[in-house]
Amino acid sequence: MLPSGLPESVSDDEDLSRFLVHRSQFSEKLAKPSAFMPNPKDRETSVYRHGREPVEKLRHLGMAAAGDRTLYGAAIFPAKVVRKVGLEIAASEPPLRHAAIRGWPWRDDDPLEGKAKQKSIAIDIASAAGKPVIF
Amino acid sequence: MLRAIPLVAGLYPYVRMGSAVSDEARTIQLAASELTMATERSQALFGARQNLLTELRVIAEDCCAEDWDGCSGVAISAEALQKAEDLIRTLPEGIPLPEVAPEPDGSLSMDWIRSPYRLYSLSVGPVNRLAYAWLDGTDKGHGVVGFDGMSLPSRVITDIQRIMVDDDAAVRSA
Repeated sequence: MLPSGLPESVSDDEDLSRFLVHRSQFSEKLAKPSAFMPNPKDRETSVYRHGREPVEKLRHLGMAAAGDRTLYGAAIFPAKVVRKVGLEIAASEPPLRHAAIRGWPWRDDDPLEGKAKQKSIAIDIASAAGKPVIF
Repeated sequence: MLRAIPLVAGLYPYVRMGSAVSDEARTIQLAASELTMATERSQALFGARQNLLTELRVIAEDCCAEDWDGCSGVAISAEALQKAEDLIRTLPEGIPLPEVAPEPDGSLSMDWIRSPYRLYSLSVGPVNRLAYAWLDGTDKGHGVVGFDGMSLPSRVITDIQRIMVDDDAAVRSA
């Protein structure tokens, strides 16, 4: 058991939240694919193990994650979506409830070819997440 | 009035020609550049495209420092912004303007979103190549195309048009 009380393994039916810290990362109908793209330094996408409800708890978690940045909302999607698109999801505490999406395609010999594949996967996740929670 | 946008798009190759050597060529380049800037400044003539260029610059300014997203995001460079502006200016008439967003690697994403199942996303960074991906119902694709700063490859325009304008795309079954 992790410090958060959650199990070490992320189950398929758990919801994941990707917090939105830039106003152009989403519209009313969709969190854009760019919101899910991996960080080029550690090649991961940072998420939290929390669903749409309760919203107030989600918002508090997001504010702690955003730090001094403005928190605009969260895109929510089930963990099984991550596995379906060929990526991995692993618990990564601290901070509490934090998890990392790993296994993004990467091409060191041709970064843009790798990025095109990443974008395709990010579109799949954005499409599955649908309407974001806007705070 | 309505022909103003294609006029600007048509002039843009002359504005960007960097190898103008003769006096005549330089005169044409200067005139095209002045006319393009004057047109862009005119809200009545350039409208939504000018707003989008402004939005691009605001995003670039928001994300001009490393770690702009709190997740080690790379700063958007002046070169990436310039390429993104070039792309916006060269979009042909009939193609809707995209939504824009920053990406963690310092690129600018241009997204044409018709619905969660029909969208086209293009990344503009500091180099002369663009990574793209699209979803059109049950069909999807991705790849890389060249971009010289003056015109978009016809494949890109065709794909965006199919997703954003045409009505016969595959529809994802629930």
